[in-house]
Amino acid sequence: MLCYKAWRESQTRFVLSALTIAGLCVLFVLFQNEARTGFDGGPPTYVGYIWRIVYKGYVRELYVLLVLLLGVGGLVRERAYGTAGFTLALPVSRWRLVAARAVIGLSQAAILSLLPALVIPVLSPFVQESYPWTQAIQFSLLWTVGGTLVFAMAFLASVIFGGEYSAPVVAFVVLLVYSAIADMPMLDRFDIHDMMSGTGTPYFRLDASLITGPLPWMAIAVILLVSCCMFVLAGRITQAQDF
Amino acid sequence: MGSDCVIETHELGKNYGRFEAVHALNLRVSRQQITGFLGRNGAGKSTTIKMLLGMTHPTAGTGRVLGRSITDSVENREMRREVAYVGEDKQLYAYMTVEQLIRFTRSFYPDWQNDVAQHLRKQYQLPQNRKVRALSKGMRTKLALLLALARKPALLILDEPTEGLDPVSIEELLHALVAAASEGMTVFFSSHQISEVERIADRVCIIDHGRLVADLSLDQMRQDYRRITLGFATQPPANEFKIHGVQQVKIVGRQVIVLARENSDVVVECAHSLGAVSVDVAPIGLRDVFLETVKEET
Repeated sequence: MLCYKAWRESQTRFVLSALTIAGLCVLFVLFQNEARTGFDGGPPTYVGYIWRIVYKGYVRELYVLLVLLLGVGGLVRERAYGTAGFTLALPVSRWRLVAARAVIGLSQAAILSLLPALVIPVLSPFVQESYPWTQAIQFSLLWTVGGTLVFAMAFLASVIFGGEYSAPVVAFVVLLVYSAIADMPMLDRFDIHDMMSGTGTPYFRLDASLITGPLPWMAIAVILLVSCCMFVLAGRITQAQDF
Repeated sequence: MGSDCVIETHELGKNYGRFEAVHALNLRVSRQQITGFLGRNGAGKSTTIKMLLGMTHPTAGTGRVLGRSITDSVENREMRREVAYVGEDKQLYAYMTVEQLIRFTRSFYPDWQNDVAQHLRKQYQLPQNRKVRALSKGMRTKLALLLALARKPALLILDEPTEGLDPVSIEELLHALVAAASEGMTVFFSSHQISEVERIADRVCIIDHGRLVADLSLDQMRQDYRRITLGFATQPPANEFKIHGVQQVKIVGRQVIVLARENSDVVVECAHSLGAVSVDVAPIGLRDVFLETVKEET
């Protein structure tokens, strides 16, 4: 039932996010003829167009922002709404409260990342094009990994900052700082933006706009481990907090 | 801990930085009684309740509720299975309907009594498909009370339960608390509304500036507490009345006003021996005891 509570708290944000991402994917596929003419250097291939506009471009950036917003909430926010007392009086540990919210949030981030993979390959035949399922699924996996880190940042910020806007703003600033640091040559393999789009990575062929090599499992493991540490830290902070 | 105590704290304290919200609190709440926790705004009532429920961590001392430590997170969680809490602001999940919130809460308590919940829902006229956000504060309080009572807790803790309610809702709430106590539940509720505490409580603990300044049975108070007004022909002797059981001695002109929690007979005898020209002994209410106790502390 704690998962039900976490779901209900984030339901509106998630549904709106899903509709936005799915809607944009539908529009970009259905109006691909018009949209492809607007690129510098001539119209790209359909696969190249999808990569530039969805997996590298607007939709990916939007996904990051929406996942960041999904991470906002939790007990500190509940204190502001006045429901923290009711929640904390339930016979459950604070760890379980934190875990339920993390599980639901991560599931939502994963579902959002799957939407382009569901929409684009299915709709492409309607515009006499095709997009490989394997590519779409691999990008979804990479988005889920990137989304996990972004969600963990927002999740941790929400545990520390109770203001309605302070947690997402802090998480956004942390994301910007992380992005700047991850651009440094020694750390660029851990840059989730590049990882999610494949830009400049050994597993992505820019000329074909396709993932051709093995996915960066080591970097994925490190990013998931860092995210996991952030969730544990959020749990420990919650455990020690006064409400 | 004595088996007749459901709440017992020992030197319990809570500091917020340099501010001492609760100081060396030794609180005892007896089983199957209604205990009022009286204090001014900011006296430390809510902080104490939050410490008892594990929402706030004490900075000093220990405490046990239903025999379980309040500072051990596992024991505290087990204790919360048997304790129901209605918070000060009575906010519940606004996005759920009445029915959804009942179902949600029920899932945490194996002893949940559906018949009680249904009976109370009808009695309180709570529309099951209405969202909590659309309920008035009075209705929210009733819903919070339903969620608390339907699990048949051993202990019901309420923080300022009547705050912000209209007189009809207050009346219904007080009736519900008395009914709960008559069924064997222990009720511990904080308030700064003296008349409400006096009406339903068996016992009163008064807290001021984070310190427990009085712990008395209301029957005992009605029986023993007296205000003795003594008139003298000349300047009255104040020090002569510092007798065991005398809480306060006040001199107003040629009158001495003695507030005694016991031994009022001894005070009267003493007054006669000192040549008092008039002696008036009157029982006092909780309001007087509270105001005098709190004033004394200030």
